[in-house]
Amino acid sequence: MPTPSPGRPRFLKLPSIRFPIGAFVSIGHRLSGVVLLIGLPFLAIALEQSLRSEADFAALAAQWAGPWRSLLLVIVVWAAAHHILAGVRHLLMDLGIGSTLTRARISAWATIVTAALIALSSAARWLS
Amino acid sequence: MRISIYRFNPELDVGPHMQDYDVDPDSGDKKLLDLLVRLKTIDDSLSFRRSCREGVCGSDAMNINGRNGLACLTALSTLKEPVLLRPLPGFPVIRDLIVDMTQFFAHYHAIRPYLINDEQPPERERLQSPEQRARLNGLYECILCACCSAFCPSYWWNPDKFIGPAGLLQAYRFISDSRDTASAERLAYLDDVYRLYRCRTIMNCTEVCPKGLSPSHAIERIRLALLRESS
Amino acid sequence: MRIFLGQRAWLLQRLTALLILLFVVLGAAGLLAGATPSYVQWHAFASSSLGAVLIVLFFGALCLHAWIGIRDIVLDYVHAPGVRLPLLALIGIILCAVLLRVALTMAAHFLPGA
Ligand code: SF4
Ligand code: SF4
Ligand code: FES
Repeated sequence: MPTPSPGRPRFLKLPSIRFPIGAFVSIGHRLSGVVLLIGLPFLAIALEQSLRSEADFAALAAQWAGPWRSLLLVIVVWAAAHHILAGVRHLLMDLGIGSTLTRARISAWATIVTAALIALSSAARWLS
Repeated sequence: MRISIYRFNPELDVGPHMQDYDVDPDSGDKKLLDLLVRLKTIDDSLSFRRSCREGVCGSDAMNINGRNGLACLTALSTLKEPVLLRPLPGFPVIRDLIVDMTQFFAHYHAIRPYLINDEQPPERERLQSPEQRARLNGLYECILCACCSAFCPSYWWNPDKFIGPAGLLQAYRFISDSRDTASAERLAYLDDVYRLYRCRTIMNCTEVCPKGLSPSHAIERIRLALLRESS
Repeated sequence: MRIFLGQRAWLLQRLTALLILLFVVLGAAGLLAGATPSYVQWHAFASSSLGAVLIVLFFGALCLHAWIGIRDIVLDYVHAPGVRLPLLALIGIILCAVLLRVALTMAAHFLPGA
């Protein structure tokens, strides 16, 4: 972050700022992107394992059972869902579809809620 | 009415603090600016900029209850108490609600905010069709209040390199002008990870523009124009 | 020389996004339709030319997309050159390692005897 010029404070206390809904989609887009980036090496390893042998292929699914690993999986599912939905929203807005403020607000809410629902339904499936 | 204001006096204070005021608005006080002017009669050390008091000069932009806006256009009746007034986020504070706009205007100058046309001038003025003129609607109305740029996270992180929504809206105003012949150069100047492409389409800018303009839409158009230019 | 290009990165981010989206939608549609592949099917797919190309393409797009995105995040939040450059280098190396891992895996299954 830039340092303030000597003697001049800057007001930038983020909790004191009332962010519009679009800003939450955006920070979620970033966060989920980082989560997916961290998952990428594991995906490459999983690819290798899935092709190694029949037994390894079968073991892949079993490895992700168990409450803590399932929780990780739910986080990854949320990240993928949010990232993809927010990404599609941006692609459409790049083309001028839904880029007016009213529509952008609606699609922002829709993105957050849908991604959360997808994450919840995967949690219901794996964590119960 | 309780108002809590960000105070900083460079001659006395080491850092900023919030100061509470209790004032009763007069029946004639309709807008936040009216109340600030009244406060100034109680405490003349309180500093803020204002001039036109009707949303034209762009000088009384500030952070009002967490959102940027113009005090002169903000109706008192819409405000939740205590009203929190802070300077524009991210900008260096000179005193109280007055911020240093040097960098903001440097970006504005960098986009060359004037018509460029090297062709032989016609006998009389350069004419525009009504359609060509209509393309400037939603762009020329900007009063350079900086509400948008000071609400843009990308501008907070890179205020020295990202032109920001206000400057980009102005850039598009000249790119769209049929009388301007420098569109290609203007676009080439903007094709940069920092100057234009720091924008992540968060739309915080459009959320707070007191003139109801949409800098994010202008930015979207600039990107498409660049795409056309390069294909 | 321009190290950080503006439009090229923006465009590549979107093109790779479209490619990834296509793969994910097709994959998810397949899984939701109940077509969980067996090992034999999956292995046959991965060692066909089409399958191998698609898998490499998918990971290539993922890595490129991830690089552009994380680079943007670093450009926003990390300003000290002494931290920024090593951080970018580290992420770049990790992404290259991912690609190498995928390439080796595919070579082992696609090229018989390799
Ligand atoms: S676009 Fe709107 S918010 Fe931004 S400087 Fe112009 S008038 Fe102010
Ligand atoms: S749309 Fe772009 S310019 Fe506007 S607030 Fe967001 S990042 Fe800033
Ligand atoms: S005082 Fe001029 S815009 Fe508010």
